[in-house]
Amino acid sequence: MGDSQYSFSLTTFSPSGKLVQIEHALTAVGSGQTSLGIKASNGVVIATEKKLPSILVDEASVQKIQHLTPNIGVVYSGMGPDFRVLVRKSRKQAEQYNRLYKEPIPVTQLVRETATVMQEFTQSGGVRPFGVSLLVAGYDDKGPQLYQVDPSGSYFSWKASAMGKNVSNAKTFLEKRYTEDMELDDAIHTAILTLKEGFEGEISSKNIEIGKIGADKIFRVLTPAEIDDYLAEVE
Amino acid sequence: MSQSAVDVPAKGGFSYDLCKRNDMLIQKGLKAPSFLKTGTTIVGLIFKDGVILGADTRATEGPIVADKNCEKIHYMAPNIYCCGAGTAADTEAVTDMVSSQLRLHRYQTGRDSRVITALTLLKKHLFSYQGHVSAALVLGGVDITGPHLHTIYPHGSTDTLPFATMGSGSLAAMSVFEAKYKEGLTRDEGIKLVAEAICSGIFNDLGSGSNVDICVITKGNKEYLRNYMEPNPRTYVSSNGYSFTKKTEVLRTKITPLKERVEIIEVTGEAMEE
Repeated sequence: MGDSQYSFSLTTFSPSGKLVQIEHALTAVGSGQTSLGIKASNGVVIATEKKLPSILVDEASVQKIQHLTPNIGVVYSGMGPDFRVLVRKSRKQAEQYNRLYKEPIPVTQLVRETATVMQEFTQSGGVRPFGVSLLVAGYDDKGPQLYQVDPSGSYFSWKASAMGKNVSNAKTFLEKRYTEDMELDDAIHTAILTLKEGFEGEISSKNIEIGKIGADKIFRVLTPAEIDDYLAEVE
Repeated sequence: MSQSAVDVPAKGGFSYDLCKRNDMLIQKGLKAPSFLKTGTTIVGLIFKDGVILGADTRATEGPIVADKNCEKIHYMAPNIYCCGAGTAADTEAVTDMVSSQLRLHRYQTGRDSRVITALTLLKKHLFSYQGHVSAALVLGGVDITGPHLHTIYPHGSTDTLPFATMGSGSLAAMSVFEAKYKEGLTRDEGIKLVAEAICSGIFNDLGSGSNVDICVITKGNKEYLRNYMEPNPRTYVSSNGYSFTKKTEVLRTKITPLKERVEIIEVTGEAMEE
């Protein structure tokens, strides 16, 4: 296909109008570990698989779900190191916004600025796009919000979404299970069930991570003990 | 390469570019604008379980009291607070900036901020501005290594002390501390001593006045006691307000319009030629 001749350079359109490097970045995301998010009526929950390359890895040192601000958290599918860089940039942008306007950054603004960074890396020389898609969960004056940001820099607000290896099964499951008036605890149960759908092996508090934010506007990553409680309820 | 991909370190320090121009203007007779100083008595002491900071609440602009109840104890981190003396804008801006940097640092490291980190960020900034940022600070907090109390001078030097005072009322407050401070004070004794020191500044120094603010920081807890003591309450002459019984007579009314009203009379005639 004519496309392959244009796939080496990020800043060149292919004849079919695509930027092939971004397609490849999305493929990198699609082969990453599954992550998902659900927006409930009174909060948001995000969750991810935490499959480590070997049992020798100290799993307590790995944290895939990160805070951007006290009331905004983020999870990813794709390349971990790219995620770290984006988290660092986003935290700085949130802090700069806070210093300038003395207001905690609204979720949409932070998502937009992060997406702008990702887009810049699709239109500059000598760089490659980020190989991650982000799920940003936050609670501000406009209520609970869930956004997905792609390597191209486009972002969407979702009621529930999934990314990574198991995306199609997970999304089908979520479409069936999602209701508008779901509460946060129900959403957490649904998230666990969705992860379980495509999980290879035994699901436990050691190989998944869950983060939630409620009306208290404080984003928290659940401790393994809390995850065990939810897993027991789901059984 | 786009600017966001490369992080250039911030250029700091005093820029001397406009000094020549300023000298020229002063020679021509321009009076430089005066700034809002906090006058001030600020103190801190270490007690048995942590740190107590205290400050008065008067902000002066020359001989005038500009703010009767300003806040001089600034938040740096959940476990670190900083009192500021000197130019109000400078203390506000510098503590705000370092507080922001500390928060970013906390996110990156996942740990609570240390007092010495705040100290180093502040002194580096003040030194790079060679004393032109007129902020004299008393920084106190409790972190994983214990309670700490430091003073920072506008040129960037610092001291680590068990009890400290700064500001125009510092001598009055220090006399109280030197007489009555001892190690191992309890919380109530510490608060009483701090309040006494600030009151000494309030009553004996013109640049300090109004109320006493106190902040108690212990391991894992902080109490910001705003207006802990109000030794200078306002006394109003009449609580019912004033009433004027005799109405003022109107003798004459003359209204002068500020803009002239001009009447335009349209003459319907031939249109202007092109």
